[in-house]
Amino acid sequence: MKSTEAAISVTTLARRLGDPLMGASCLAALLLGVGSLLFMPLYVLVEAYPVLGNEGGVTGFLFTRPWRPLAAPPEFGILHSWVSTLMITAICLALALPLGYGIGLFVSEIAPRFVQAILQSSLQILAGIPSVVYGFFGYVTLLPLFESHLDMPAGESILAAAIILSIMVLPFVASTSAEAFRAVPAETKEAAFAQGVTRWHVIRRVVIPRAAPGMFAGAVLGFARAIGETLAVLMLAGNSLAVPTGVLDRGQPLTALIATELGEAGVGSRKFHALFAAGLILVVITVIINAGIWALKVKWVRPSE
Amino acid sequence: MNRSAVVADRVFTLSAWIFGGLGLALPFSIVGFILVNGAHVISWQFLTEDPAGFPLGMAGGILPAIKGSLALVGIGVVIALPTAVGGAIYLTEYGKNVFVLRSVRFITECLAANPAIIYGLCGYSLLVVFMALKISLLAGAITLGLMMFPIILIGSQEAIQAVESEYREAALSLGVTKAYVVRWIILRKALPGILAATVLATGHALGSAAPILFTASTVFSHGGMSLDAPVMTLPTHLYYLVNQALSFDHAYGTALVLVVLLFMINFLAWTLKRYVGR
Repeated sequence: MKSTEAAISVTTLARRLGDPLMGASCLAALLLGVGSLLFMPLYVLVEAYPVLGNEGGVTGFLFTRPWRPLAAPPEFGILHSWVSTLMITAICLALALPLGYGIGLFVSEIAPRFVQAILQSSLQILAGIPSVVYGFFGYVTLLPLFESHLDMPAGESILAAAIILSIMVLPFVASTSAEAFRAVPAETKEAAFAQGVTRWHVIRRVVIPRAAPGMFAGAVLGFARAIGETLAVLMLAGNSLAVPTGVLDRGQPLTALIATELGEAGVGSRKFHALFAAGLILVVITVIINAGIWALKVKWVRPSE
Repeated sequence: MNRSAVVADRVFTLSAWIFGGLGLALPFSIVGFILVNGAHVISWQFLTEDPAGFPLGMAGGILPAIKGSLALVGIGVVIALPTAVGGAIYLTEYGKNVFVLRSVRFITECLAANPAIIYGLCGYSLLVVFMALKISLLAGAITLGLMMFPIILIGSQEAIQAVESEYREAALSLGVTKAYVVRWIILRKALPGILAATVLATGHALGSAAPILFTASTVFSHGGMSLDAPVMTLPTHLYYLVNQALSFDHAYGTALVLVVLLFMINFLAWTLKRYVGR
C-alpha cells in the first residue's frame, strides 16, 4: 500500500513539476540560442567601433584611404571592396532579375503541370549546390572563356563573379516571384480574359501589377544573398586591392576581403577592427533588408491584420 | 483581335518557354559537367584513403575531408537541434507576449539571412581566439550550430504551429498536463517538419566553407579526430585544391562527392516534406 501511495505522490509531483519544468527549459533553450546569436551583431559592432578612431574616421575608412596593410604606417580603407561588392551585386541582379521573373511567369502562367514540377525541382537543385562548387565551376568554365575570347591574361573579374553569382540567386528570384504570380486571384485574371484580350496583355496589365510587391521581395532576397556570398566571389573576382573601374577589372568584395585577410589579422590590431567594420556593413544591410521584407509582408500579405 | 497584340502574345509565350528551358538547362549542365569530369576520379581508393603526393592532394583520397565534414555537421546538429526545438516550443506553446514573440521572430529571420562569413568572423574571434578553443573541430561545430539554429527554429516553429489545435484541446480536456501534450502529441505530429528543417539546415552547413575556413579547417589531417584538433572538410578541401592549383582532377572528384552528398540530403528533406503534406 505504502509503495503505491509513494508512487502516486511521485507522479503527482512529476505532474506538478513537469509543466513549469518544460516551460522553463524551453525558455532557457530559446534564451541560450537567440541570446548567443544576438550577441554576434553586437560584438561585431563593438569590434568595429575603433575604426572611427582611425585617421580620417568613417570618411577615410569608406572613401579616401587605400587598403595597404603592409605599408608603414599601414592603411586600412575599404573603398575598393565596397565598390566591388556594389558592382558585382548590380550586374548580378541585372542578369538574374529578368531571367528569374521570366522563369517565374513561365512556371506560374504557362508551363504544363509536369513541366512545372520538373522545373521546380531543377531550381531546387540549383539552390542546393554550395557556393564553393559554383566558384569551382566558374573557375574551370568561365575564366578560360574570358581569357580566350576577351584576350585577358587572367579571367578573374567583376563580370565573371557576377555571372556565376546571378546563377546562384536565380532560384530565389524565380521561386519567390512565381509564388507572387500564383497568388494573383484567378477571378481577377478571368475577368480580364473575359474582355477578350491576350494572355500577354493580362500578364502585363493585371498579373504583374498585382504581383509587384512579391517581385520586389524576390529582388531584395536575391540582393541579400548576392551581397553575402563568399566563396564563389573569392575564387572568381580576382582579389585585387585596386578600386575597380570597369566590369573586366579585378575586384575584392567585402566578403572576400574578410575571408582573405582574417587569417593574418592579429586580434585587436587595426586590421582586425577594419575587418569587423567591413562585416558590420554586411550585417547592417542584412538587417535593413529583413526589416523591409518584414514590413512588406505585414502590409501586403496580411492586410487584414 | 488586334494583330500587334497577338504578335506580342506569341513573342511572350515563346520567350517564356526559352526562359523555362534555360531554368532547366542551367542546373543540368552544371551538375552534368561536374559528373562527366569527376566520375572517373571517383574510386574506392579516392573515398577511403588519406591525401597523398607532393604537394599533398595530388594523389590519394579524401577520406579525412568526408569524415571531418560529417563530424562538424553532426556535432553542430547536436548543439543546434535541442536548443532550436526547445525555443520553438516556447514560442508556440508557452510564450504569451505578442511583442516579444514578434521581436524574437524578427531577430531569428535576420540571423538566418546573415552572411555565412559573419559567422566565420565571430566564430574565429570569439571561439578560436577569445575562448582559446584554437582552430578545432569543436570551434567549427559550435559556429555551424549557431548558423543552423535560426533555420531549425523557424522550421520547427512552423511545423508546431501547423499541428491542429483540436489535438491540444482534446488532450487538455482529458486532464493531462501541457508538458504531456507537448511531449506526446505536438512533438510527434510536428516531427517530420522539424526533421525536414533540420536536414535542410544540415545541407546548408555541409556545403558552406566560409564559417569553417578560420574556425575548423586545415589543409591536411590524418583520419584520427579529436575535438581540439582541426579537421579537413570537403568544401575547404575543394577550395584549397583550386586556390593552390594542385589537382583539378581531385577538385572535380571532391566537388562531385560534395554535390552527391547534398543531393542525398536534399532528397531526404524533400521526402520528409512530402510526408508532412499528407
